[in-house]
Amino acid sequence: MSFIEVNNLSKAYRISKRKSGIPGMVANLIAPKYERKEAVRDISFSIEKGEMVGFVGPNGAGKSTTIKMLSGILYPDSGSIKVGEFVPYKQRKKYVGNIGVVFGQKSQLQWDLPVEDSFELLKAIYSIPDDVYRKNVDRFTEMLDMSGFINQPVRQLSLGQRMRADIASSLLHSPEIVFFDEPTIGVDVVGKEAIRKFIRELNREDKVTMIFTTHDMQDIEKTCNRLVVINDGTLIYDGELNGIRSLNGEARLLDVFFSEDTAVAPIKNVQIIDIDNRHRQFVFDGQKVMINDLMSELLKKYNVKDINIAEPDIESIIRKIYNREKVLA
Amino acid sequence: MNDTLHLMTVYSKTTARAWFQYRVDAVLRSLAVFARESTGIIVIYFTLLKFNSLNGWNIYELLFLYSLIFLTYGIMIIFFTGLRDFGNMVREGSFDRFVLRPRGILFQIIFVNSDWFAAIGHGGLGITLFLISAGKVGVHWNIYNALYYLFAVIGGVLIQGAVFLFIATLNIYLIETGSIKELLYWNVRKFAGYPISIFNKGVQFLMIYIMPYAFVNYFPAQFLLRKEDMSQYPEIYLYLTPIVGVGMYLLAYAFWLYSLKYYKSSGN
Amino acid sequence: MRITPYVAYAKKNFLGRSAYRVDHFLGILSTCLQFFIFYEIYRALYGDAETIDGITMSMVTTNFIISMGLGMVFRPNDFFLPGKIWDGSISTELLRPISFKGRMIAENVGDSAFNLIFKFIPVFLIAFFTTGIHSPAGIFNVALFIISAVLGYGVLWSISFAVQMTAFWLINIWSIVTIKNVFINVLSGSMIPLWFMPEWIGGVLKYTPFSSIYFTPVQIYLGQLGTAEIVYKCFIQIVWIVMIYLIGDFLWNKGQKKLIVQGG
Repeated sequence: MSFIEVNNLSKAYRISKRKSGIPGMVANLIAPKYERKEAVRDISFSIEKGEMVGFVGPNGAGKSTTIKMLSGILYPDSGSIKVGEFVPYKQRKKYVGNIGVVFGQKSQLQWDLPVEDSFELLKAIYSIPDDVYRKNVDRFTEMLDMSGFINQPVRQLSLGQRMRADIASSLLHSPEIVFFDEPTIGVDVVGKEAIRKFIRELNREDKVTMIFTTHDMQDIEKTCNRLVVINDGTLIYDGELNGIRSLNGEARLLDVFFSEDTAVAPIKNVQIIDIDNRHRQFVFDGQKVMINDLMSELLKKYNVKDINIAEPDIESIIRKIYNREKVLA
Repeated sequence: MNDTLHLMTVYSKTTARAWFQYRVDAVLRSLAVFARESTGIIVIYFTLLKFNSLNGWNIYELLFLYSLIFLTYGIMIIFFTGLRDFGNMVREGSFDRFVLRPRGILFQIIFVNSDWFAAIGHGGLGITLFLISAGKVGVHWNIYNALYYLFAVIGGVLIQGAVFLFIATLNIYLIETGSIKELLYWNVRKFAGYPISIFNKGVQFLMIYIMPYAFVNYFPAQFLLRKEDMSQYPEIYLYLTPIVGVGMYLLAYAFWLYSLKYYKSSGN
Repeated sequence: MRITPYVAYAKKNFLGRSAYRVDHFLGILSTCLQFFIFYEIYRALYGDAETIDGITMSMVTTNFIISMGLGMVFRPNDFFLPGKIWDGSISTELLRPISFKGRMIAENVGDSAFNLIFKFIPVFLIAFFTTGIHSPAGIFNVALFIISAVLGYGVLWSISFAVQMTAFWLINIWSIVTIKNVFINVLSGSMIPLWFMPEWIGGVLKYTPFSSIYFTPVQIYLGQLGTAEIVYKCFIQIVWIVMIYLIGDFLWNKGQKKLIVQGG
């Protein structure tokens, strides 16, 4: 029995078909009409204690719905979720005391007040014992380097500082599971690195289970060892981070710089990514396209200044998977 | 229990501290509310200087009628500030935060913020008006009257609380409820200081049966003042305020519980 | 000065307002309800009397519909600058290559144009056909009414502008804005016609900008003022606009300096 067990989870939204005008509004209130949209279809997975799992998928793929059900905000339509001894959507009050949620776009800190005041409030909300609270605040202050701004009002903090304080605030009650929703959005490169380092340390030391949803693949590559890809409500990949490369055949990438603005004609079996007018990436399966053939073709046809062979990063692989799914559907 | 009380104190401390980050504003806030709410009073006062009486009501009787609105609102807002601001919470997505914390959802909404400045502004105005008018409207105050008054105030608080809870709940279905609130609540409130008998039947219907402000101040004041225009309404209405209050509140609460379920299954 | 970005801001606000249709209709309904209730109150007050102090019921009605209607059109956003100071976006806003003050005006003009077409006109027509409001005293008065209404808007806007500037020091100015609005509501004649104010208040009002917001246009509409008086009152409106704007501008310059020194 794993720590988190999700079996055959499904959830359909009813999107209201709104009618306009006041009669329409009254009609919407009394007898609303809905369109069904299946946000999550028959998803199953399990997560062990202490794992770090990244959930990725395009907007509207169903990942945030899944996370909302895992955190107890939404009821599932069918299927089951069990986290430790709890069923999240049934035992809300008991369950949420064990989880922490970081929304990168929605701060839970009091905007007008010093960071520490928000911490004090959370201490009361979660009934955190004094010693645990003190220990956590001291520890996070040091790990996240917050001593310089912990007494400043939140509205005066930089985005990176605010995000660090926000992360600390979600961890004060020593949750067993932490959900990170876009934890580094808008933060500069140095700030992002500090946050990722903290997350890794925390996982190593406390064995906290962590679940990420993010658009920044770097977040996942630098923290998670497991990747779950959701597209169009279904789970299309669940496994090791690096395993996804082989899923996609022997993916190769050619990074090409041209010496003048160049329009590249489509090439069979090769995906062309426009970086700018003089810089393009060619992604292809090494078993279908011979790298030498491709290179000589490019050199012959265009004015090439520089060329690099690389393994594509996970982001472009995943983008390719989404596209293929779209074609199939 | 102790834990809950402790949390309530921390909530109020946090709110107070946030207000006093802006000292000038905090100092002026109750005064501003007092002044804003006095607008209607000033208008009535100047009008009555010119016209002497309004449908048989003199200025003191009108002030007495008005005082009940402010008193009940002042008490209500101590508890229901969070419901007043609930629309913003839903729009900004901070409502999900409440669901993610190990406390009752309505409890959090109610205690996360208490607008004491509004409470003092409204309540203070209510008390001021009461003190000015109570001795001059010919009411013989005795224990019986006082008890009636107390129950009328409680009923009035519940009626306004129910309206707030109901409109807040609507936010789960509609993004923008500001205009509905303006139309049904603030507009009606603005004119509830006048005896409803001066209005046409449509407005009277609105104020008795739809947004039943008449039970907050008109009927309770009539019980004590017995002005002639009461003859158009059933005598029983004089005694209904607490029942209307409890009834409306229970209805609004049921609607809230139902909508919370809806939110969790639709997740809009 | 390039005019295009300001037109774009005005247009953005104009179009943005039309997104909430339900809200919009409820807003009209709300103003109509308010108007009808005032109407009922004054009908009860007048009883059988034809005129009181030479003021007829239809003049009172006209006063309400014009001042409430214009009030609906004007509505400056009192929290435009304070909001940007509070959330810290002011420093980036000031770096844009356009005048911030120009933008404040432009956004407001966009809102007001929307309100004029889609709120004032429907409400005015409803009131015109359901209650006995006065027709304008003449075509000449209509033209002058429009001019003085625009000037009234200028007065209201510059008051809002000057008050908003205090946010540089106080950040949260909800109370001050609220108190300002109390003065405007009571003393501009939009809630009680200024004819019915006690004489001593009328005397004091002469030295304040409030009566030139709505009451001057109302008087011109009703034909209560002679040509010389109209010219004089419009001149007074301009004097108020300039004076209050200059105070606001003085605070604006000081405030920006403070912003630079303290970094927000």
